[in-house]
Amino acid sequence: MHSKKYLVLVGALMLLALALSACTAVAPAAAPAAAPAAETEAAAAEASAEKPTVALVYGVKGDGFYVTMEAGARAKAEEMGVDFFADGPAQFQPTLQMPILDAVIAQQPDAICIAATDKAALIEPMRKAYDAGIHMISVDTFIGETAGDYTGEDLSWMLSYVGSDNTQGGETACQAIVESMGGKGKFYIQTTQPGVSTVEQRVEGCKKAIEAAGGAVELIGMDYNDDNSSKAAEQTAAVLAANPDLGGIFGTNLFSARGAAQAVANAGLTGAVKVAAFDAPEDAIVALKDNVVDIVIAQHPYEMGQKCIEFSMAAIAGDTASIDKRWPTGYTIITRDNVDSEEAQQSIYKAE
Amino acid sequence: MHKEQSPSHSRTYWLDILSRFWAWLFLFAMILIFWIGNPAFMSLFNLQSILANMAILTIIAIGQTYVIISGGIDLSAGWIMGMVAVIAASTMNRFPEGTPIWIPLIGGFIVGLIAALIAGLVNGTLVARMNVPPFIATLGMAGIARGVGFLLSGGMPVPIYVKGLGFLGNGYLFYYHPNAGWSFLAQPPGLVQADLRNLTGILPFVVIVMIVVLVIAHLLLSRTRFGLHIYALGGNKEAASRAGIPVVRRTVSIYLLSATFAAIAGVVYNTRFTNGAANAGDALLLDTVAAVVIGGASLFGGAGTVIGTLIGALIISVLANGLVIMRVNPFWQFIAVGVVIIVAVLIDQAREKLTQ
Repeated sequence: MHSKKYLVLVGALMLLALALSACTAVAPAAAPAAAPAAETEAAAAEASAEKPTVALVYGVKGDGFYVTMEAGARAKAEEMGVDFFADGPAQFQPTLQMPILDAVIAQQPDAICIAATDKAALIEPMRKAYDAGIHMISVDTFIGETAGDYTGEDLSWMLSYVGSDNTQGGETACQAIVESMGGKGKFYIQTTQPGVSTVEQRVEGCKKAIEAAGGAVELIGMDYNDDNSSKAAEQTAAVLAANPDLGGIFGTNLFSARGAAQAVANAGLTGAVKVAAFDAPEDAIVALKDNVVDIVIAQHPYEMGQKCIEFSMAAIAGDTASIDKRWPTGYTIITRDNVDSEEAQQSIYKAE
Repeated sequence: MHKEQSPSHSRTYWLDILSRFWAWLFLFAMILIFWIGNPAFMSLFNLQSILANMAILTIIAIGQTYVIISGGIDLSAGWIMGMVAVIAASTMNRFPEGTPIWIPLIGGFIVGLIAALIAGLVNGTLVARMNVPPFIATLGMAGIARGVGFLLSGGMPVPIYVKGLGFLGNGYLFYYHPNAGWSFLAQPPGLVQADLRNLTGILPFVVIVMIVVLVIAHLLLSRTRFGLHIYALGGNKEAASRAGIPVVRRTVSIYLLSATFAAIAGVVYNTRFTNGAANAGDALLLDTVAAVVIGGASLFGGAGTVIGTLIGALIISVLANGLVIMRVNPFWQFIAVGVVIIVAVLIDQAREKLTQ
């Protein structure tokens, strides 16, 4: 009936696709996202074939941290001959993650590594997977009230918690800023949204570091930027107007730090106000080299992905003795002094 | 339906005046309160930061103004902006090092604009030809643009390696330093860290861009037949059609325009943050709708102006800045912003009733 109109639409969509493929500088990045669907089918077809299957359920789609984790797991899976697939929700929310976990369980993988988006809400669905005979490993985030300690009776069915301690990360970051401020001055925190556990732990850790400086460092406030650099810049500019003598800013993720640093640059105070960024995608490293930010705190998501596969394989082989109940992945503090070192370069999040 | 077109000197004359200028009064009252609350609010630095930081929001909101006046809404503008930011960033990086800065800048903008226009064309075609409600058509496009932006960037912001780009987004036309004096287009050379705190920049480049875009958009809406047609579309589509206005073509152009403004905002983001992030515009989208409505536009179409949207964006940005300067608890900030938006819409509705 409307065939002509639909033709127009289809044509327009095809043009869109064409234009995109023509101007894609990072086209390979499209592969991981497109892959799960295809591999899911493959996994289903090969279920209980000789190759073991491991799934990764990450916290949110399109986040550099999880993209890197997936890349680490995928590389390790290829190396060890494992069928691997990954999926996760569009937002960091348990209500969106649960159906995805269920769909993954339905494909009966041998092991699941999961970055649970809620400490409590995910316990039952994960337990269900364990009861179905699937080995369960926490990556990045943990479940339960024991701060990631799975040795207790309640959570002993969990194989391991592989991840870095965000409280410790926040503390490390802010210690580094306080040090670069000469141990005194006014301090400000830019963070994403209330209610995100990992980010709140970073803030908590940061406050510890500020307290440790005694009264010399004063925390003048913290604002929420909705994970948006523009809003972070707007708020930081206001703080700089009210406190021209500000000494340091902690951005609890890349967008927070980028916005804060941009307001600092706008005020002509680059270098005078120290800015630390949590998480280390390539963009953070470029900002570091351009003197936009002064300190970058790198987690090790690639290592988390690798460990997830290693531990899964050990469990599948029945070798639970070689699995640590807690595998802390630690941090790398990157500054302009060490950015070219091998350790720093290895910590940068990369998609491939 | 709407009073703008027929001002009368009746008893409701003063109400009409008040309804037109309430937003200005509101803005000045807010400025006064923040000024008294903390004198730093009125500093040259802070006033300029407010203007520079609202540039991206304002530019998207201008596109949104056209769409809302025509009786539609564009929920995809924020994600189209992010998609353009990613595409433009990737494009800029393809130019060899040492190319004069305006070449990658314009090249990035053009490639980004093409992608945005395709998205706008699909939006317009769905709404105008296939009668898909604008809310749904653009919501769908928001998802597509979001996915494309993340796919192309691999989920991480794309860093831009073009030297000097950050200065365009963050620099000022003039600089003044008590010791080093005035300088044009660059910071006075040889300033050490301790001097930086006394350096004053005057007229950020992005504010100039914002003003140019505002003037062009204002003239297009208020001085051309195209602008008149947009009001006619929002007032009554059938009447507009009978009056010989090419409804389909006009509607498609409106969504193309909205996408174009989103693309400009995307490239402004590139220069300000020297990266391209797929989620750059996500958090700004509802603010753009709020700015347009606070500025006196009706969500039912037929009313609104570019200047009104500017005031709306000013109110939102002054509020965001002032609340932080006065160190209002961030959770109260959410409430304050929410209350202002609701009050604005209430006044808008009361105005329509009173002026009928």
